[in-house]
Amino acid sequence: MSSATERRDRFETIVAEVYDPLQRYLRRRASAEESGDVFSDVLLTVWRRLDEVPSDAVLPWSYGVARRTLSNHRRSAQRNLRLVQRLESERQPATDGDPADAFEETDPDLADALAGLPPADQEILRLWAWEQLEPREIAQALGSTANAVSLRLSRARKKLAESFTRQDPPPPGHIDEEPAEEQQR
Amino acid sequence: MKDQLRKRLASLDPMHPGVPTESVTSSSSQRLLEEIMSTPVTEQPQYRPEPKRNRWLVGVAAAAALVVAVGGAIALTGGPSGDPVAGAPPLVLNAGGEDATAMCIMFSVEELARAPLAFEGTVTTVDGDTVTLTVEEWFKGGDAEQVVLNAPQGLEALIDGFPFQVGSQYLITAYDGNVNYCGFSGVSTPEFRAAFEQAFAG
Repeated sequence: MSSATERRDRFETIVAEVYDPLQRYLRRRASAEESGDVFSDVLLTVWRRLDEVPSDAVLPWSYGVARRTLSNHRRSAQRNLRLVQRLESERQPATDGDPADAFEETDPDLADALAGLPPADQEILRLWAWEQLEPREIAQALGSTANAVSLRLSRARKKLAESFTRQDPPPPGHIDEEPAEEQQR
Repeated sequence: MKDQLRKRLASLDPMHPGVPTESVTSSSSQRLLEEIMSTPVTEQPQYRPEPKRNRWLVGVAAAAALVVAVGGAIALTGGPSGDPVAGAPPLVLNAGGEDATAMCIMFSVEELARAPLAFEGTVTTVDGDTVTLTVEEWFKGGDAEQVVLNAPQGLEALIDGFPFQVGSQYLITAYDGNVNYCGFSGVSTPEFRAAFEQAFAG
């Protein structure tokens, strides 16, 4: 990065690519207010670490920054957040808490099944279906390997499918693929 | 089938492409970007270590070390009851009670970052002296889907006095063939996990 102008140019090019998807990423996982705070911190980190941004994976790398920034933000604001959440839930339940709530109506079975999975499985499925990332890109965003992500993703899909099977009675003639011991809970 | 599931999941997206976002060309966006580009770049990102893990240093002297046997060390005898899944072979860690020699050093994110092996895993089975973990995330140094802990001398107090429980998540590091049990491995808490994320970021 030889000159200040070049640095600005590169930042502006990157920002043009990530500005919209980063906002979506954050709003899928945080309130509007929290998203706003974290968003500017993420962009600041991109600016400061401009030389580290991999040119072939700008967006997944940026999601990784957003994930860590959000996590740090929540950690430092944890007590605060808990208080806010409690106040919100006392005031009127299920308002602007989890943005996903508003969409459960469209496919409540799937939303329930997704919500029932461990957080790590939910997140990998979101990155796959909402951010539309491939395993290699998810690996970049999560700081994992493509191989591990592929396996986790297929496991998460399987769990989701199993969760469906438990929710919806199988059609007549359907044979459970799972061994009996797996069905015991 | 996969595509169908992906589409169906996408329909749950609260921020689907039809939902508007702030445009990068709006005046408020431009102000924000200008402000950011005026920031000096020599400063480090604002993640500050918050090591508050001193309690990890207490009462671990008697804990047994876990000896890491990487590379082809698939358990051939008395192996794990959990079936290894396809892909990389499970990483096998042996717990040898006699090997607990390391002195505990003060926890810091910088020290944590030196660990050549770090992962988060969920315990899937505890069977006798064998614990099988499914790796949720490799922070550094591996790609096995499963890690097996063999502890012929018993599992109690292996990691900082925390018994391994099926379904619980643990953050584990290993160094020079030994799991860093002195505050550098343990039950995954948001705080501890944040330290891992910070230590192994980017």
